[in-house]
Amino acid sequence: MSLLFYSFFGLIGLLLILFVWLIRKPRWTAPSSAARGADDECECRHMAYLPQIRQAFSDSDFDFLAKNVSREVLRRIRLERRDVALAYLAALREDFQSLLRMARAIATLSPELDTVREFERIGLTIKFAWQYRMIRWKFLAGTAPLAQLHGLSDIVSGLSVRIEAALNELGERAALAAELASSMNRRGLGAG
Amino acid sequence: MDEIDVFQRVLWGIAISLDGVLLVLLLKRKNHRVFPAFFVYILVDFLQGFVVLASYLVWGFDSEIAGRVGWGTQAFVIAARALAVAQICGQVLAKYRGVWALAKRLLLATAAIVLLVSWAVARGSWQFAVLNADRGMELAVASSILILFVFIRYYGVTVEPAVSVLAIGFFLYSCFHVLNDTILERWLYNYSKMWNLVGLLAFMASQSLWIWVLRERQSATTREPKLLPEGIYNAVTPEINDRLRALNDYLGQFWNVVRKRS
Repeated sequence: MSLLFYSFFGLIGLLLILFVWLIRKPRWTAPSSAARGADDECECRHMAYLPQIRQAFSDSDFDFLAKNVSREVLRRIRLERRDVALAYLAALREDFQSLLRMARAIATLSPELDTVREFERIGLTIKFAWQYRMIRWKFLAGTAPLAQLHGLSDIVSGLSVRIEAALNELGERAALAAELASSMNRRGLGAG
Repeated sequence: MDEIDVFQRVLWGIAISLDGVLLVLLLKRKNHRVFPAFFVYILVDFLQGFVVLASYLVWGFDSEIAGRVGWGTQAFVIAARALAVAQICGQVLAKYRGVWALAKRLLLATAAIVLLVSWAVARGSWQFAVLNADRGMELAVASSILILFVFIRYYGVTVEPAVSVLAIGFFLYSCFHVLNDTILERWLYNYSKMWNLVGLLAFMASQSLWIWVLRERQSATTREPKLLPEGIYNAVTPEINDRLRALNDYLGQFWNVVRKRS
């Protein structure tokens, strides 16, 4: 049997698997208006827990516990903090996805798209998903240091605030332009 | 005609009848206005059945002329199928102007690349030229539908169930056709009768799906989304991409630290 013969079977098998994955129920659908998308997506509510997360992951906190509690208690605390770290990572991913949903909603409702930017975002999404999985597996295997997690959330929260501000500004500009156009029309009608 | 089994003749008759049922349903429910290219495809396929049947009756199943008539008319069927798939893609995405412009380029590029690759990797002899062209076209149709569903999923586009089922029918049939052609290429003469039979069964499965979904009248108009002003995308998207990249870089640094320590 030739390699070509099997490669066509392999290719069709791959297409069928991909197709089944694609026709699963989607987790989100395109919004009917931009405003709804912008309101929903900028929440990033997990950022509110940042101070507590930072405290839990600080080196000084670990040092203090290591000196003052038994090994058993320290082990249990480490496990609990690992769970917190995993939940924190998941929350960050949720925030990442919220921002991504907003980007896709804007793209869906835009009259023109930039191919490079769209592909760049797909690449970033794949990269994030891969890194997230690897870090998560490291945590589950107990080999990842918890202290490195803080700082991630600064990037996400900063992004949300700036995008929200940009959207508001653009909304105001669009409203102003519409108002100008309508007043010019009225003047035109009056003159005629 | 005696060379064809009774069972196969019966199946052939059923397939042509199912085409007839589809045509009647399309006309009766006025769905031919919603899916004109699909209507043309079914009509061409229906007519091809009679032309091929006539050629078998006149020249015999194993004759070279009947073979040429079969493959020659198949070119029209495949072209009509490609048009029907193109129309489905347009029906789903055209209302999102930006996404459709991007998808159109990608769909055309995918179809062209798949056709070229499948032609390049196939056996070079002219004996298999028609078979390879047929397989290449079917592979291009399957890939295009897959790309369409990638866009639907990625951008969260809502699709009418009927359009979705039509696309699924095309995709499954094209996949099956590629496999069938690949087997035929390997065991050309020993497999030709089985190839006809298996192809018929696969097509009948798709026909049943289409009949099921077209039994009801489909609405011709879909709600048009209100698009954003042009500036929004150009102002916001680079910002989002920059931040996503920054987040990725941070996650990458974090991953490097994790890897070094462990």
